Parts: sequence; C-alpha cells; structure tokens
Amino acid sequence: MPSFYQLLKKIIQTGIGRSRLIMAAGGLGIAMILLLIAIQAHSDFDQLLYSQQNANESADFLVINKKITNAMMGQRGQSMFTAAEIADIRQQPFVEAFGFITSNQYKVTAAAPGDLHFYTDMFFESVPDSFIDVKNEDWKWTPADNTIPIILPNDFLNLYNFGFALSQDLPQISQETVKAIPMKITISQGLLTQEFTGRIVGFSDRISSFLVPGSFMEWANGKFGTGVVASPSRVIIKTKDPSNPALVKYLDDKGYNTNQDKIKYSKTKMIVQTIVSVIGFFGVTLLLFALLVFSMFIQLVIASCKKEIQLLVTLGTAPRQLQRYLMRQFVPLYIAIGIVALLLVAALQWWASGQLAVHDMVISPWIATGTGIAAVIVIVLVYFVNRINVRKYINAIS
Amino acid sequence: MAVQPPWTFSFGKSSILGHHFKNTSYMQIQLENLVPVPLRDKILQRSSDIWNRQIIFTPGSFIKIKAPSGTGKTTLVHYLYHIRTDYTGQVLVNGQSWASYSKAAIAAMRQDQVSVIFQDLRVFEQLTARENIELKRVMNGQPYCTAEKVTEMAAKLNVTHVLNQSGSTLSYGERQRVAIIRALVQPFQWLIMDEPFSHLDEENAQRAAQLIAEECKARKAGFILTDLDNDTRFAYDIHYNL
Repeated sequence: MPSFYQLLKKIIQTGIGRSRLIMAAGGLGIAMILLLIAIQAHSDFDQLLYSQQNANESADFLVINKKITNAMMGQRGQSMFTAAEIADIRQQPFVEAFGFITSNQYKVTAAAPGDLHFYTDMFFESVPDSFIDVKNEDWKWTPADNTIPIILPNDFLNLYNFGFALSQDLPQISQETVKAIPMKITISQGLLTQEFTGRIVGFSDRISSFLVPGSFMEWANGKFGTGVVASPSRVIIKTKDPSNPALVKYLDDKGYNTNQDKIKYSKTKMIVQTIVSVIGFFGVTLLLFALLVFSMFIQLVIASCKKEIQLLVTLGTAPRQLQRYLMRQFVPLYIAIGIVALLLVAALQWWASGQLAVHDMVISPWIATGTGIAAVIVIVLVYFVNRINVRKYINAIS
Repeated sequence: MAVQPPWTFSFGKSSILGHHFKNTSYMQIQLENLVPVPLRDKILQRSSDIWNRQIIFTPGSFIKIKAPSGTGKTTLVHYLYHIRTDYTGQVLVNGQSWASYSKAAIAAMRQDQVSVIFQDLRVFEQLTARENIELKRVMNGQPYCTAEKVTEMAAKLNVTHVLNQSGSTLSYGERQRVAIIRALVQPFQWLIMDEPFSHLDEENAQRAAQLIAEECKARKAGFILTDLDNDTRFAYDIHYNL
C-alpha cells in the first residue's frame, strides 16, 4: 500500500516548473560556489600574508615617527608626540601593544679598545623589553653593573661591512667579532662623567637604533639628565596585521612615518579584498535571485495544484502535512547542491595549493572552516526562505 | 483568535487514555440564527426548521434534513463542514464558532471527528479508486480501519472490480460509492452527507445505507443527511424541513 506522501506525490505534481527549478538550482549552485570561493580566497590570502611575512610570530612591530618636513626643521618640539596624540594611537583597534622609545638626555661617546683608533659620539635609546626581537641572557642591567649590554641594528653592521668597509679598504667584521669587542662607553653631562664597558649582545632587525636596557636608560637619565621628562619622538606599536588598510590610512592621515616595507602588502591586500568582495557581492546577488526563482517555482507548483490542494485540505489534510511534503521534495536538492559546491571549492583549493606550492607559497590544501560554515548557513537560509514561501502560498489557498 | 479545541489529540502518539477520551467526548454541533447571505430574502419570506433558528444536533442521532431544490441544501452542508462562510449567525462546534478554530485544529477534526460525503463526490482523478480511499485511510498516521476492511466494504457496495481503475474513468455511481467508502474509513462522531445516493439504483442505495448505519453504530456516531425527498432507508431520530 502506498504511504500518504506517495499518494501526495501523485496528486501534487512538482514537474510543472521543471525549467524554473533547474534555473533556481543552477543559480543557487553558482551563487554558492562564488560565495564559498570569496570566503576561501579571503582565508587563503590571510594565510599567505602571515606565513610569508612572519613565519614564527603572529604579530608585527612598527616604529612610528612624524615625518620631518622642511617646515619642521629646527623646531624639535614638532617631531615629538603629544600626550593626546599618544592616547589616540593607543586606542586604535589595530594597536595591540604600545611602547615609547626613550632617548638619552646626556652625551654618549664610544671608543674601541686598544689601537683600533675608533672614537665616535653616539646616542642610546630604549624600548620596553617585550618589543625587542633579540633574546639574550645578558640583556639586563643594574646600577651595580659596569657593563652595558647594547643591541645594534642589523642594518648598521651591513652598512659598515658592505658600504663603508669595502670602499675604505677596511676589514669586514662578523657579528661574532663585534660581540667580542668591548667598547669604552663614556656618558657625561657637563662635568659629570662616568665610564662603562659596552658589549654588543645582539642585532635587531626590528628597531633601527642603538638600544640599551630600560633600567640603564632610566638610571642614566636620572643621574645625568635634565630631570625633565622629554616627550618621545618615536613610538613602537605591536600590530597583528601591518598591511591593514585602516592602519596605513591612519598613518597617512596623521602624517606619521614607518618602515614602508612592512606595510607594502597593504595595497595588494586592498586589491585582493576588493576582488574578493566583488565576487562575494555577485554571489549574494545571485543567491537572492536564486531564492526569488525558487519562490516563483513554489508559487507555480502550488498554483497549478490549487484545486487538488484545496480538496486535500477539505478532506482534512493539515497544512503542515502539505508543507512537510513540499519541503521534502526540495531539501535533498539543496543539500545536494551544497555538497557539490563544497566539493568543487575543495577540489579548487587542493589544486590551488598544489600550484602555489611550486612558487613556495603555502596555503592549506583543505578548505577553511569558515567556508564549510558558510555553506551550511546558505543551505539553512534557503531552507527557511522556502519554508516561509511554502507556508505563505499554502495558507493563501487553503 | 484561533482556539485549540480541548479534545484535540496529537498524531503519531497513541494512548489508551486518549482513545477512551475520544470515544466518550462527543462533538456537539449547534446552529444559531444561521442565514446564508445569498438566500437571505428568499429564506426570511418562508418558514424553515433550520435557517434562522437555534438548533442543537444531539450527538449520536440520525438526522434527516429534507430540502427541495433551491432551498440551500448543499449550502447548509458546506456551512456544517466549514468550507463556506457566507452566512450570518453562527455554526458552533463544542460551543465555539468554526472561525475561532485554527487551520490545524480544523484539519484534526476532519481527520478524526467529522466526515463528509459531498454531492459532487470530489474524487481525485489522478488516483485509482483504491488510492482515493487509501489517501483518507492513512491521512492521520494511525489508520482507523485495515486495508482488508476497505476491500470488504468495496465488496458490499459492488465496486471491487473498479478499485484499481483511475478515478477519471469511474461512472458517477461508482464514484459515489467510492466517496461513501472514503468517508467511512476514518474515525468520526458526525457524518455529513449531501444526497449520498443520488447516483445509485435502489438496491445499491440500500446496501450503502446499511453499511453507513453499521459504521455509525460501531462508532456511536450520528449523521446529518440532506436529500430532496422522504425516504425510509434509515431509522431517523429527527426530521427537519429546510
């Protein structure tokens, strides 16, 4: 004996709107693929950016200073950050951590030991330890110590080795050698003078400055300084994404400067984001049209079986039973479309990951969790919209 | 406001209590000054036992309403079964007007409390005779009678040979008997019939009447039958003139 739903199948023919159903299903499929590709591409690009720029760290550090313009020259105060400007930088959403770069308020001279005949005036700066990329046991200082640990910028050694040394016929120096040379550091303010031994403990790629521990800077500024706390002219921030267009725009608007190399991905990212957004937008638009065609299909099926549905209701069929029957005709279709779209995007992702691997660009061969969730959300959305439509049209005629 | 009747039961769940309750609580149908809008002037000019009166149909009774053509016989049946509402006054079911019930509640009543045989039969042409009956039998999820019982009833009404024929090829007489069986495969407390024997010869009409009476008695159910003339096919409890 046939079941109630099998009998309903004979009465309510859904074949009438086949072309509409195919259009709606096709539209839904393409919409879903576009949407999933947009989401997947977004996730892939993020992976590429972070894995390339910063293999081991999830954040990046930017040293920010004001642009020195001709108008500002000779007015030191203009290059300093005011308290309001600092507070404003701190509260930006892309700033994860913030630190001052403190300058020395005393004279510093360095001399090489023995007969190297090297003598120079120099300066020190300090930043909070958490911003330093050199991890070293010796990076600490107490007033009892006569040795000051110093971090040099990597660029400085490179400039010397490949620029200065070669042209002046001087010997090139390795990092190890530099670390082994004890420098004679003299700091003074007026008549007050004290000598220290400076020891290079590391080379920083992150901060282009001569760094000493914060504790030394504080002590020395207290003892040799003017006593007035100077405003910083450089600050350092930690940010998750230095290519964040919002950050780049903020810096531009305020006339701040930073290492341009670090934010160079910003433009690429904006272009990719635009393309991804356009694809996503088309996906959403197409999804809306697919929903509209689905709705028209449902309307057509119900209208074409109006008499039959009315008789079924007259005989006691509950509107719920009719809704459930109709939804049963459609739901397997949505799920099939969802699965096909997901599989296609997964295959595309796998292929893309293989292609990119050749160029040393690493993305996951699997689709992102977000992509899977998006597919489920679209199916649930289509289900609910269609359910509402079915209910509306059935109620209208019963 | 749609009101869920106190005696509705959920589908798919069977409980002994529920069944017991179903058989002992009777569905009461009551008319209050019911007047069809299209026939208003005509009806108010003459006297009627039904129109514009207060009537309570006693549950379990066999009621005959005699109605000459044009007096609104089919209209009354449609009002009683709530598929037309162009009237003034009220049709009350268990004290509440039809309009106050939700669509789901009405569907539940049509599956379990009230059955109908229309004058225009209303058989699905895309289904066979047996499928037409089956549709009603399995509609509520818990068939009231077995498939064998259907075959048995078909044999009593001499339609066994057409059970597998398409609804579209059935004669009016065959359709009428299929419609009668369809109305009898469900549980009900009231059976509403609109000229149920109009297409049957005397012998088949007698057989059908006997089957209907048996099935009503088995359910302790009543019926409301409208027809053009007097007849003695049933032991009627009450007669009305429309």
